[in-house]
Amino acid sequence: MKRIKAVTAKEFLHILRDPRSLLIVFILPVVMIFVLGYSLSFDLENIQTGLIDYSQSDLSRRLANKFSQNNIYQVKDLTHPQAQKDGVTHAEELLRSGKIKQYIMIPPDFSQRMKRNQVSFIGAVIDGSDSNIANIIHQYNQRVVQEFIQENTRFRDILDIHTKLFFNPENKSTFFIVPGLAAVIMIMITALLTSLSVSREKETGSIELLFISPLKSAQIIIGKTAPYVVVALLEGMIIVLFGRFWFHIPIKGNLLILLFFALLYIITGLSMGITISTIASTQKVAMMVSLLATLLPSILISGFLFPLESLTPILRAVSYVVPATYFLEIIRGIVLKGASWSDFITEGLALMGFCILFLAVATRKFNQERKVKK
Amino acid sequence: MKLFFLLKKELIEILRQKEVLAIMFIAPILQTIVLGYVVKTDVENIPVQIVNLSESPHAQRLVQRVVHSSLFDVHKITKRPGNTKELFQKGKITAVFVLRDSRKEPSEFRPYPEIQILMGGVDANTAQIAAGYFNGVARNYILTDLENKGLSLPVKNKTLIRYNPNLESINYMGPGIVALLLTITSMFLTSIGVVREKEQQTLDTLLISRLTPFEIYLGKTLPMALLGILEMFIGIGVVMVVFHISLRGSLGALLLAAVIFLFAILSYALLISIISTSQQQALFFSWFSMVIFILLSGLFTPVENVPPAFHWLADINPLRYLIEIIREIFLKGNGIAYFYKEIFILLGITGVVFSLSLLNFKRMVTK
Repeated sequence: MKRIKAVTAKEFLHILRDPRSLLIVFILPVVMIFVLGYSLSFDLENIQTGLIDYSQSDLSRRLANKFSQNNIYQVKDLTHPQAQKDGVTHAEELLRSGKIKQYIMIPPDFSQRMKRNQVSFIGAVIDGSDSNIANIIHQYNQRVVQEFIQENTRFRDILDIHTKLFFNPENKSTFFIVPGLAAVIMIMITALLTSLSVSREKETGSIELLFISPLKSAQIIIGKTAPYVVVALLEGMIIVLFGRFWFHIPIKGNLLILLFFALLYIITGLSMGITISTIASTQKVAMMVSLLATLLPSILISGFLFPLESLTPILRAVSYVVPATYFLEIIRGIVLKGASWSDFITEGLALMGFCILFLAVATRKFNQERKVKK
Repeated sequence: MKLFFLLKKELIEILRQKEVLAIMFIAPILQTIVLGYVVKTDVENIPVQIVNLSESPHAQRLVQRVVHSSLFDVHKITKRPGNTKELFQKGKITAVFVLRDSRKEPSEFRPYPEIQILMGGVDANTAQIAAGYFNGVARNYILTDLENKGLSLPVKNKTLIRYNPNLESINYMGPGIVALLLTITSMFLTSIGVVREKEQQTLDTLLISRLTPFEIYLGKTLPMALLGILEMFIGIGVVMVVFHISLRGSLGALLLAAVIFLFAILSYALLISIISTSQQQALFFSWFSMVIFILLSGLFTPVENVPPAFHWLADINPLRYLIEIIREIFLKGNGIAYFYKEIFILLGITGVVFSLSLLNFKRMVTK
């Protein structure tokens, strides 16, 4: 124990000796949460929509109003373009150049057909280049047309759908995004923090001193990880407080439970970093591997932006080796749903498994190199 | 000529590090393939529960439709309303669909059940998608039922999807992910470069040579740009083959955009390298910038809605323009006439960053 303490103290000195770096480590993640917490959102507003109304009737105007009154859309009337073009050609050009996301066409016989109880059609041409957005626009269109039908024809109460949102009544993406960001940022920062600790000593040659010391390899590895636990835990707390007081995210669950799992998660990230650090030969390689291992997988295969249920079984299996997957489940559960200990037994065990595995691999690898040197 | 030897030296230095090369070429390609499959998947199998309080055959049939749809993964069908809130809390359910007989005055179309959709707001995005899907399923059911009775809804909405008729996101997400990986590798490697030389004091050797600062600057960026272009084209080739994506626009335009983009990123990375005093600082600065660039690139979430206070960040994000150009080229098959504006903005960004970083480089060198 005393020996671990000695390594920890030495590593602490390393960290404190470079206050500028330490400051950067603390400030950047908070800035990130601040900027991205505001900017990341799936909500669509002001969908640029062209409208070509060839019917120019009372009914068609009512339909057009349904679109323009909905603040999801930003409607531009393209029925009479200035140049000698017809409306459709003009609209197609705008669509192609990305100035509008869709255009809606109401045919000349729209109102007559409706009055004669015949089926009338309206056309929507949507820019599919962003398939998610195209899908959402299509859904919105359907809803608007359906409302129009229910308000203006005998099919008044054909479809009666009410929706209600739990846990997040204002439907703010922030509540979903900010805790997620915390999880994603924490794994990246922890893995990056320790990725340098061993590889730096390799580069400067000071690792020889550690090799010939009487300390066991496990003691060195643990001693080198420990100080960063303090740094990362502080960082995590700052992020949580920031989310609570700046973004007003209500924390429904117990903070102590969150703290416990956060600690586990932090140790997972740090031991991942130190494992990479012992394997890589230079700082550059270590940092690069940590970046590639954490950045995109934590954003894409963890459930941060895309729901995990949709993934194919193979990818679902891949998501189980991404630590962020587990902590995302935990932090969202505790913060938004007020979940407790018993809900996260699997997740907790998985994170613990990661820690043990990483630390064991790091120790083994360290030992091997030590023997080679001897 | 001097410059040529310098470039050769820098290139040899990069190529000598086998590990770095592996990281630059093999790791991104593997990641591209895996992540390509992730972004390829549409939201499906959404975990839901159905509470059917209606005895009507319509409700029964509607439930069957939901059960058989691949969009939903129905965990449970109950006949009694339970404590829904608890359900969301304990289970991993995104939405609950409640069907009940309508309590309103009887009318012509009364037989259809009234529907309530309860959404767990934790993943409100998926819940909204689930609600939209369910809306569609219910509407389709009613439509077919009406048609069977010889009736039809008075207004039909015909939708045409342009450029990407099957709504396959992989067509731009695939090349987009290549662009992200390119940003990560080239930005990181360059940002580490100069700090490392500062730390090891090998930069001094270069400085006392007869090379001008500008030449040294080029020596630090050009080889990386070359490798970056190579990486980008290998990556795009791989996604095109693996995911059967076809290039609709011009390859030349893509090359042009990629080169301008790379210069913006590399100059920026060099700027980071000049400001930083240790490799660790350079790492954190470039990590921070990458994450912001990537998440505000418009690849995953729409950037149009970024609040005004941060919109400028999206506006100066070079990756955003590259992604937009990729979308134009791969999906719309548009020629350069449709995105010369993006190219010019990209050029402007590159110009500013390049001069800033060159200026700082000169100042550092003369100190």
